[in-house]
Amino acid sequence: MHYPWWYVPNLTSPMLIALIATVHVFVSLYAVGGGIVLAGEVSYAYKVNNKSLLDYLKSHTLFFILLTVVFGAITGVGIWWTIGLASPLATESLIHIFVFGWAMEYVFFVLEIVSAFIFHYYWGRLDAGTHKTIGWIYAVAAYISLVLITGITAFQLDIGNWTPDKGMWVAFFNPQTFPQIIARSGASLLLASLYIYLHAAFKLKNDHQLRALVENRTSKWAMAGAALVTIGGAWWYFNIPPSAKAALAGASALNILSILVFAASAVVFFMLFFGPYRNPGWINPGFAILYFLLGIAATGTGEFIREGVRKPYIVYNYVTGNNVLVSEIPKLQSTGYLNGGTWTKAFMKAHYPQVFDTTGNIDDAKLLQLPEGDQVKVGQVLFQYHCNNCHSVGGFSGVAELTRGWSKDMIHTVVTHLAKAHFFMPPWCGTQAEAQMLTEYLASLSEPSPPGMRFGKAVNPALKQLADGTLREEGGK
Amino acid sequence: MNPQFLIGPVSPLGSPAPFWFITFFKVLGFILHMIPMNIWYAGMVLVAIYATFGKNHSLELAHRLSRTMPVIVAVGVNLGIVPLLFTQVGYYQFYYPAGILMAHAWFSVIIILIFAYYGVYVYSLSVRKNKSTKFALASAWISSIAFIFIGFLFANNFSLMSNLNSWIHIFNKTNVGGAVLGTGLNTSDPTLIPRWLMMFGLAMTTTAVFIAFDAVFFKKRDTSEDYKRWAGKFALILYVIGLVWFAAFGSWYIFGAMDKSVIAEVTAHPLIYFLFGLTAVSPGFVLVTLFVQRKGLKKGGVILATVLQVVTLSLNAVSRQWVQNVEIFRYEDISKLPVNTQWSPMIVFLILFVIGLAVVGWMIAKIAAVEKQAANIS
Ligand code: HEC
Repeated sequence: MHYPWWYVPNLTSPMLIALIATVHVFVSLYAVGGGIVLAGEVSYAYKVNNKSLLDYLKSHTLFFILLTVVFGAITGVGIWWTIGLASPLATESLIHIFVFGWAMEYVFFVLEIVSAFIFHYYWGRLDAGTHKTIGWIYAVAAYISLVLITGITAFQLDIGNWTPDKGMWVAFFNPQTFPQIIARSGASLLLASLYIYLHAAFKLKNDHQLRALVENRTSKWAMAGAALVTIGGAWWYFNIPPSAKAALAGASALNILSILVFAASAVVFFMLFFGPYRNPGWINPGFAILYFLLGIAATGTGEFIREGVRKPYIVYNYVTGNNVLVSEIPKLQSTGYLNGGTWTKAFMKAHYPQVFDTTGNIDDAKLLQLPEGDQVKVGQVLFQYHCNNCHSVGGFSGVAELTRGWSKDMIHTVVTHLAKAHFFMPPWCGTQAEAQMLTEYLASLSEPSPPGMRFGKAVNPALKQLADGTLREEGGK
Repeated sequence: MNPQFLIGPVSPLGSPAPFWFITFFKVLGFILHMIPMNIWYAGMVLVAIYATFGKNHSLELAHRLSRTMPVIVAVGVNLGIVPLLFTQVGYYQFYYPAGILMAHAWFSVIIILIFAYYGVYVYSLSVRKNKSTKFALASAWISSIAFIFIGFLFANNFSLMSNLNSWIHIFNKTNVGGAVLGTGLNTSDPTLIPRWLMMFGLAMTTTAVFIAFDAVFFKKRDTSEDYKRWAGKFALILYVIGLVWFAAFGSWYIFGAMDKSVIAEVTAHPLIYFLFGLTAVSPGFVLVTLFVQRKGLKKGGVILATVLQVVTLSLNAVSRQWVQNVEIFRYEDISKLPVNTQWSPMIVFLILFVIGLAVVGWMIAKIAAVEKQAANIS
């Protein structure tokens, strides 16, 4: 529309955002929670003057930096990269609203980087007080960056009282922000603990006593985290807009996933309580890996749900999944989707100049005069710019499959009543003529009903032919 | 097709800051990014070459550079966020389409960067542990090549931003039903190659100054006088090579590749002669400063060279911005788009920026004190 659409066959380009965002969150939550736990534990170790604990924490810090500063930071930038490619209009809008939020975030990134390196490289060379302070500078900076970014992603799910004439603060303090901050704070502590178990299980394999200490102390952070996840998650659920609640209830996949998240969180909680908290020291590498994978599964699923329930919007009530502004929809419906999009219009002008009227706009009547083959091709353009954000052709959520066995009429009905067929689809944003073109295109893709299925009395084709006397005739040919 | 057709609509939200503010922070951010970026861009090539073929001082150079490289990359990547943010807010109508037209290549930057960065760490840790392996050496080579390739991709995107004829070309060639495959590159643009290679020359000059800086200010305890002398000479030679390289590709860019209409428009402004003149002569001052110290680096002299090099980079960044604006204003005067300044977030940002700088300053002062103490003891 406003921007060229990036077509990634079978996958759809927004899936790349999901991919990067998910792997990023595993590390970025650790970057925050791990910072807090490390600062807290280093302070403790200095207080009780436990040299071996300090040594362990130092080795953990290197692991932490290698993961967060490299992989975490670059995949974070990677999300930017990808949203600009696959959701350009939403990104443009978010950056206009939150540019200074991101600029502030950047200040804290710089603080994180500088403090993390000093914390690690000057370990043992700075006096204890300064070293602790630098650890806490990291923790606070990382935490504030979590708060800032959460306000922005929360805004996408519910813009609250924000309207385009209102500035960043109204957008930032939306009904979703605080519950999500609580949930993510919890997730960050929980996940950080699982990383520590994982690392300690290997690193301190033969130092039973120290490992027991590390496990026991870490489990307190972890249980606090688990509690926060539960509180934040529940608060979040009661605060999500009705459409998101309905999406959770209506989409079977999301439904199953959210049960899975709760189940995984509960299992982790129990394992924590009876494991490292009550009986520290028994976590072996196998268990640590299991814990870790459960934590990753719960976090990944949680984030997936958070993204999933946003449909049909990318920014609630502001930008829809097909990359148009909610406010432009009425105009697109009356003057045409192809006509309203910069790139669709340019494409039509280059390939079908005959459909333009003297004022330079696409004329529906002329569109309908195109030969059938061309109508299918125009339908494809509509599909790319209106549907490909969520549907591929034959791969992920493929329309060829979704419309298997459908008649043209059925397809046409769904196309013209998209939002009624499923409220998590945007409404049809084009004209009736355009709906016709898209229908032609979808009908050309739609898979036939699977053969061999029957309902009612069994019919043996050969017997049937025998009965109406066509068998011999055909056989004779 | 008229290229104007491909420019998307203006955001109804209005720009959150005046155009000058956006440009200022874009350029400032780019300067801050360019310093570390230059050092890894040319520096990793030196590391790879000298780690493989170097002896004595040149091997020591490779080791010294690689020890600081992880920090340099981390800081540089971070500082790159700022210009990118302000590019997206001010130049979105041009930045997003360019990226999308070459989406696969642009997306791959992230993947390549992760490998390049871990490669830097692998080699750096091997030096720290005094265990050089074939794997570590290969990592250094892979990183250096990866960085240069990333430079190529950046040159593509940023030259594509202001070359709308290329958009048409790529759009026509790589679309499926009007949606782009994202497999384009701006290779039909004659400015691409000189723009890409130019930066390597500039990077060599910055790295040269950094080598001098490193010899004088870092790890004083184990820096021999001999190495310091060698580093001074080496920095001078590298600076000269970088400068010649930069001048060669810069001339190709300006006189051989740039659109005549852009040149005409750029040079229509009298101030530009002054700016370009300064940009052209500024590295000369650094060169003289290094030349004077060819027999021995001095603290004051190195600081002067560093400051002058930052000035050189700044002039470069300003000139680039000037040209980019001229190129883009041919299509649309984006400095005149509606503005809806977000004052209070802007002020909070500026305050946090100052506080952030102060905290960074405090931390650096702390480690400087530690280093000084260590130097006094030895
Ligand atoms: C914001 C995302 C989104 C957009 C945009 C979107 N859809 Fe959907 N659509 C969905 C989801 C989610 C489903 C449920 C898919 C499933 O069950 O696998 C769905 C289901 C469907 C179905 C199956 C309906 C049924 O009753 O089983 C069809 C057909 C369909 N979409 C066609 C389209 C067409 C045509 C377009 C473009 C005009 C479109 N969709 C745009 C998200 C979207």
